[in-house]
Amino acid sequence: MMGAIRAELVKLRRSLSWAVVLFLPLMAVVTGVVNTLVSGQPPGDGWHTLWMRIVVFYGLFPLAAGVAVLASLVWRVEHRGGNWNALMGRVTSSLDIVVAKTTVTAALAAALQAVLVVGVIVAGKLVFDLPGLLPPRYLAVSVVIVVACLPLAALQSGLSMLMRSFAAPVAVALAGATVGTLLLLTRVEAPSLLLPYGLVSRATQVGTGAFADDGSVALPALGVLVAVALALTVALVAGAAVLLDRRDVR
Amino acid sequence: MSNAIITHDLKKTYGKRTVVHDLHLRVPQGCVYGFLGPNGSGKSTTMKMLLSLVRPTAGEVHVLGRPMRRSTRRELLGEIGSLIEAPPAYGHLTGAENMRLVRHLLDLDQGQVQRAVQTVRLQDHLDKRVREYSLGMRQRLGIAMALAREPRVLILDEPTNGLDPAGIEEVRDLLTRLAARGITVMVSSHLLGEIDRTASVLGILAGGRMLFQGTREQLFSRSTPDVLVDTPEPERATTLAGRWNAVRDGDRVRVPGLDHAATAHLVDRLVHERIPVHGVRREEQSLEDVFMDLTGGRGL
Repeated sequence: MMGAIRAELVKLRRSLSWAVVLFLPLMAVVTGVVNTLVSGQPPGDGWHTLWMRIVVFYGLFPLAAGVAVLASLVWRVEHRGGNWNALMGRVTSSLDIVVAKTTVTAALAAALQAVLVVGVIVAGKLVFDLPGLLPPRYLAVSVVIVVACLPLAALQSGLSMLMRSFAAPVAVALAGATVGTLLLLTRVEAPSLLLPYGLVSRATQVGTGAFADDGSVALPALGVLVAVALALTVALVAGAAVLLDRRDVR
Repeated sequence: MSNAIITHDLKKTYGKRTVVHDLHLRVPQGCVYGFLGPNGSGKSTTMKMLLSLVRPTAGEVHVLGRPMRRSTRRELLGEIGSLIEAPPAYGHLTGAENMRLVRHLLDLDQGQVQRAVQTVRLQDHLDKRVREYSLGMRQRLGIAMALAREPRVLILDEPTNGLDPAGIEEVRDLLTRLAARGITVMVSSHLLGEIDRTASVLGILAGGRMLFQGTREQLFSRSTPDVLVDTPEPERATTLAGRWNAVRDGDRVRVPGLDHAATAHLVDRLVHERIPVHGVRREEQSLEDVFMDLTGGRGL
């Protein structure tokens, strides 16, 4: 399995994925900063306000779309030329292929979060001159967001595996994110967590008090999010591996 | 000689359309097996079934004595190198990077990768991105990727497609060298001339059915070449040999479908009638001619 992951890392060289990793979170940061400046209301509650303005919106749509684009980029190369036949004509098992693809998609999603955190810190210090550094609770929340991205990465990787189209899985992600947001808005929390799009949005709201969140960063609640994320990931990866193994090439 | 690849009643149906009919393939170990047929005759589908990329509707595939199924394929694929349809490779990566990822995937050592690259003579082009490669270079890289694992069986689908004559010659030479190393090579083509001199065993597919399978010699023995009689009196000789459907062909007489006994009888008659005979020989027959015979003049 490590060999398959290392091979995927080689494929990331000169990949467009890095541009997505860099620009998507920076766009979210810039949008949050510009909105704050235009509204004329400085972040009253310091880092907390800035985090909420940038990360909550980012978690509703851009994050799902970004992970979807990354998964499509990761699979796109396999749908070209004779690559699919070669991929399925080697000893690497379907499970290893799916795990490797999900791992790199999730790693890129983690890189998105890292860029976002750096962006928030830079904006907070340089634009708003906030005191101190980003409170550690948001670093903990970031870890939860990264974990919540795992099932999203697994689902989008699976969709991009099944669909040759680059855009179709991204469209599915946008539709899924809409449903997830509606569920969170209507505070139907349990089903929203079982939908990877809802889960990732919910994770970005932890500690902000937005939507169904109570504003605290409590371990039991985080534990539930992490447990659901891991269980969903295992199920989605296993499902994708079975589908890949059963599928005939075109 | 044992067979590296065997199929029993192999069949593939898409909806109501059967693209491969009850195929009994026998690919002897260590040979170059030329799998010939026009485009759409079912060659690629058959090769995909051999690799379990496509599941057969009916029938079985055995590779190196073991059944090839979804449940066994990953284990067996370790013994098989393949290149199906277009050559694989990631265009945004260099040749070296493509080979490196194959090395990671298959847990190979650097020596294996280097040998594969040298076999296809691509060592001087490894630093270029594959999207800048010519089609011939991409085919060679694809073959190197298939060879790196040092397979016992190599399945190549139209590896000479789109190559110039020099590229075709290079692939031919490569296949011969690989077979000399004991690798069983199964290679498909829709052009007879491309495998003519390379393959020692031929399988000819048309409309999903096997028209012929065997050695070149067996294929040649399927059809009887014309007898050509060189004589200074072709007119008289043609009349005399009229009962064997002889026709005048310039300064000589052409007699089709004549077996050895009938040939001896014809010569006896010519001598008896005192017609001078300067030479009697069988016409040189190309594989193309045999092919035309086999397919009822339609060719492939």
